[in-house]
Amino acid sequence: MTGASHGAGHLLRLAAVLGVLLAAAFPLYWMFVTSLTTSASLFAVPPRALPDPSQLGVYAEAFQTIPVARWLRNSLIVAAGTTVLSLALAVFPAYAMSRFRFRGRGAMGLGLFATQMLPEAMLVVPLYAIFADVGLLNSLGGLILANTAFTVPVITWILKGAIDGVPLDIEEAARMDGATRVGIVLSVVLPLVAPSLAATSVIAFFHGWNEYVLAQTLISQEGLRTASVGLASFVGELSTPVHSVMAIGVLYTLPAIAFYLMVQRYVVAGMTAGSVKG
Amino acid sequence: MAAASGRTLPDEGRWTPYLFIGPVAAYLLLFQFLPLVQELLLSFTSTSLLNPKGGTWVGMENYRDLVAGEDFRQSLVVTAAYTVACVVLAIGLGLAAALLLDTPFRGRGVARALVTIPWAAPPVAVALVFAWIFNAQYGVFNFVLRSFGFASGTENWLDSAHLALPAVLIATIWQIFPFAAVVILAALQGVSSELKEAATIDGAGRLSVFGAVTWPTIQPSVALLTLFLTIWSIRRFDLIWLMTQGGPIGATNTLVIELYRQGFVYRDLGRAAAVGMIGVVVALLITLVYFYVTLRAERAGDSR
Repeated sequence: MTGASHGAGHLLRLAAVLGVLLAAAFPLYWMFVTSLTTSASLFAVPPRALPDPSQLGVYAEAFQTIPVARWLRNSLIVAAGTTVLSLALAVFPAYAMSRFRFRGRGAMGLGLFATQMLPEAMLVVPLYAIFADVGLLNSLGGLILANTAFTVPVITWILKGAIDGVPLDIEEAARMDGATRVGIVLSVVLPLVAPSLAATSVIAFFHGWNEYVLAQTLISQEGLRTASVGLASFVGELSTPVHSVMAIGVLYTLPAIAFYLMVQRYVVAGMTAGSVKG
Repeated sequence: MAAASGRTLPDEGRWTPYLFIGPVAAYLLLFQFLPLVQELLLSFTSTSLLNPKGGTWVGMENYRDLVAGEDFRQSLVVTAAYTVACVVLAIGLGLAAALLLDTPFRGRGVARALVTIPWAAPPVAVALVFAWIFNAQYGVFNFVLRSFGFASGTENWLDSAHLALPAVLIATIWQIFPFAAVVILAALQGVSSELKEAATIDGAGRLSVFGAVTWPTIQPSVALLTLFLTIWSIRRFDLIWLMTQGGPIGATNTLVIELYRQGFVYRDLGRAAAVGMIGVVVALLITLVYFYVTLRAERAGDSR
């Protein structure tokens, strides 16, 4: 291969990378640009390609006229609640699946995998019926309980994979010092699987933050709406100015993206450590 | 590994494992298994959303009506088309992006982080912005098409029986291809560079190096990725529902959308539950087929 053709290949590859990045970034960029466009130029041809900083007032206005702050707060509660409950429920079974051989272990593993495969929207109907029965409709706590059912299997699975990788000798040493099994799990094993704990927290948090169909069906009270449901009420609706709707979209998307970028190293490492490999 | 890890501490009995898994087992029984049973029971009843407890037993009627109805059969076809397109396109694009991002260049770390951003965007926000992008008159998508002189640049994408599914697919692929890219990129780290070099020195072209060295290494990951993308596509709700509500005339009416329409638009929980049960069976069948195929491939690999 000559130097010139190598250089050309390199340039071509860089162009391809740039193309992929542009495609990945464009829709979210467009949401941002639209949020900062004057009402007059919203429908201009060609569309305005750059954000107009003088329009920042749209955001303040959105906060005043639409209960965005409350929606975001509700989403935060649901996401945080789902994260805490999912991890609290998953740590010990993950350890047991990794370290103990017991009767029913195979069935438990199969159950965890099968529930991962269950389409959640398919269970919306019976969940609605059951929640109506026991009075869990219109409750953020109820929504957290429902969300967690769909995060716990995959999280248990990922943590089990991570604990598989912790050498037994480390536990033996703690055992010599007289630590109990619960103590070993909490103070020896968990710190060693911190990256996977981070990864699973992010998975649970995103699930709670993004979730729409359960929040839409299990909650009908205005004040308990999550941001996903609130935002969804604007899709395809034209009486609210497009730039205000896009501003709410940005307010809902930005925290998720920022959070993701902060932790993406761990997520990728943790996911590939145990999860998708099964 | 199994023998060494089975030992128990002096301070605990043989029920310790059960104490450890008890809470989660109870939780899943309550929030997954019980709803599943409830769904099965509901599917044999005629139950209104307005009175969830007052259903009457109708046996197989819901299933019979579904199978006889045009809507449901169309929805099976749409689900299959949507799922196959999602899986093929997401893996194709993901593989291309992963191969691009696997070769060293300056700023690769940043590029890898940026390309996964769509995966982190909330689906509701994605639906919102793509509905705007595909807007017939003011959407930037049609503007670009028109600038290049395409006649379809005046079409109302989300309201067209031919174009709604492609439009929903574009939004979906945009959201999920980064996940495929990340998984394949991780798998590519396991490809032996010595083998690749050896093959190149032996005069193998890029394509045959890929076929002989790279593909066999990443194949198991791609197989599992296929399973996950399939199941996720079958159960994807928010993006499709918010962009098209399954329309126009059922063009994007996947099983999950059909279920939601039956239950929460027509308020027929029994019929919706029957759709749900069929969806559950389809998902489990796909999982079984997957395990059957991979097990057979593994056995074939062992005996080689």
